[in-house]
Amino acid sequence: MSEDDEDLEACRGMQQQEYEVLESIYPECISSQIRAGLLKLDVPIELGDPRPVKVEPQEYGSVQRNDRTPSESLLLSTLPPLLLQLSLPPGYPITGPPEILSLRAAHLWLSKSAQLQTKLIDQWQSGEPVLYNWIEYIRTGDFLSDLGMLSREDDTIIQIYYPAPHILASLLQAHETSSKSLEFAKNSYPCSICLTSLKGSRCLKLSCDHIFCRSCLEDFWKLCIEEGDVGRVGCADPDCVKAGREAKEEEVARVVSEEGLRRWRWLREKRNLERDPTIVHCLMEYCQTPVPKPADVEEGTGWERFRQCPKCSFSFCAFCRRTWHGPITGCPIAHSEKIVLQYLAADEGSEEREYLEKKFGRNNVIRLVKLYEEEQANKRWLEASTVACPGCEIHVEKNLGCNHMTCWKCGQHFCYRCGTKLQPADPYRHFSTPGQPCYYKLFDFQAEGAGRAEEGLVGIWADLNH
Amino acid sequence: MDARLRRVNKEITDCKNDKSSNIRIELVGDSPFHLKGSFPGPQETPYEGGNFDVDIVIPDSYPFQPVKMKFITKVYHPNISSASGAICLDILKDAWSPVLTLKSTMISLQSLLCSPEPNDPQDAEVAKHYMTSKASFEETARYWTEIYAGGPGSKAGKGVSIGVRDEVAIAGLDPQHVTRFESLGFPRGQVIDVLRRLNYRGANVPKITDDRIVEELLKA
Repeated sequence: MSEDDEDLEACRGMQQQEYEVLESIYPECISSQIRAGLLKLDVPIELGDPRPVKVEPQEYGSVQRNDRTPSESLLLSTLPPLLLQLSLPPGYPITGPPEILSLRAAHLWLSKSAQLQTKLIDQWQSGEPVLYNWIEYIRTGDFLSDLGMLSREDDTIIQIYYPAPHILASLLQAHETSSKSLEFAKNSYPCSICLTSLKGSRCLKLSCDHIFCRSCLEDFWKLCIEEGDVGRVGCADPDCVKAGREAKEEEVARVVSEEGLRRWRWLREKRNLERDPTIVHCLMEYCQTPVPKPADVEEGTGWERFRQCPKCSFSFCAFCRRTWHGPITGCPIAHSEKIVLQYLAADEGSEEREYLEKKFGRNNVIRLVKLYEEEQANKRWLEASTVACPGCEIHVEKNLGCNHMTCWKCGQHFCYRCGTKLQPADPYRHFSTPGQPCYYKLFDFQAEGAGRAEEGLVGIWADLNH
Repeated sequence: MDARLRRVNKEITDCKNDKSSNIRIELVGDSPFHLKGSFPGPQETPYEGGNFDVDIVIPDSYPFQPVKMKFITKVYHPNISSASGAICLDILKDAWSPVLTLKSTMISLQSLLCSPEPNDPQDAEVAKHYMTSKASFEETARYWTEIYAGGPGSKAGKGVSIGVRDEVAIAGLDPQHVTRFESLGFPRGQVIDVLRRLNYRGANVPKITDDRIVEELLKA
């Protein structure tokens, strides 16, 4: 055997060995007819953590275009694979490098394939198998920097030039999505509901990154939807449950039946309406349509109380829940008093107060509270400092004189101390009959409750007697 | 619902194989949906040394609805009913998640024993006791562990068995207080009942007048 023949024999062995190694490491990206010395590599580009990718419009020679198409920015963790067709000469790896028959990128995103070919060939050193290095060089995206495809300002940004950026951008995005879902489907995940491990194709990753199998999620969500517990349709992880993290519509659609989805939507809408404190249900018993607060109404004009049912057109006041009484006329007192009492009973800054402020308008509530407090003060004063005439109910305040009163309005005689009617013929008997509660108290009154004044007056009474 | 059966069986096996967690789960009858769990009282608590049994019922829609658990062993704890063993714990109610298992729930019960939540009580009287005097509460809880959960003291005093359980200590009261009102002619059981209800312990004692107690005793 000549020396050349020995070399060729060695080369064949090395080629065979290299192929086997590559096949075991990258079963998905290698295919070949090794006998014919032909090899096909399909190398995905995996960037690891998502990186910004900018697709810039490519200029054609010196032609300046005014209507420059805008560049597109994406965040990608993969790029479409590079496809290499190689021929391994009998003397590889000792006498020569692999011959690159073709090199192109899926979706043709790589414009500098000729430069890449040169870079690859340059890596070959006599006697060293180079294919593993090539694959890694491409797979990790290291070649991007050598081809000058990283932004000069920020080398984390990958720049790709392409005549129609928006077209390539959507292709790149589609590739990213499909490779992610392929990757997800390929792996197995433990479902912590049924406590089994399942292929990704039978699982769902929720927006919070928790993964469950679809059939468990279906059982779970179906039950919640049936029971009307829309708030529980969400991630099953304990922390997410505590945080009340609900499922997105798209997630629900992927898990439950069409009918379930419809009911879920209806429940959610109902719940959201109930949560909105400005919503009032139409007062017509047969209607009950939720009526939202009109959007463009000015606070304090009185119109914020106005609601008109979109279904039956009934117009009513959202405060007193009666037929609309116009913006100027106030609600019957009894009703606004209820609101005020509810408001005052709640703590300052409490949810209850916030709810009422939202429901009736903050300014309105404050105005009602003020009115109410004024009214209460008036009432207190009336009760403390006046006595109502037992004949006509008018309140009278006495600033001096004895407790025998004659009403200026209806002429009724009454006692200012206890408010009972007195006989016009002998009104003083009330104060001079021993055993009566007002005996000896013609001049003793408790208005203002001041003991000193009382004593003074009793003193006067005593003086008069003497 | 064979998914439920599969999961429960898995959980039972898992508990059997896991020796480190000290949590045991066994079948009560033939059904795997009625179980009895038990765990040792956590260390450095009044429950240390006791063994606590829990009644476990798996509902039809498990694991999407919470498992039903209550203590079989009597426990003196603000969040556990001293009469029925009912447990006040969020994960057994609205914070339940299908990811929680029998084992993890039992571990939560164990940690509930470590950290009572007197502000959200299941047993108001016990909670009041806890708030008034933690030391006295712990003494009572320890006594309960001893007599009901087979706690440390129980072996030493094995000769003194169930008959002579100290009712005053069970109620977490001062024997002197009980004797004082007993000597007024009220039956012992009634005195214990009233003093316990009024939380006649620690700092509360000077706040409650004797008249008030006698009044309550006369009402009873």
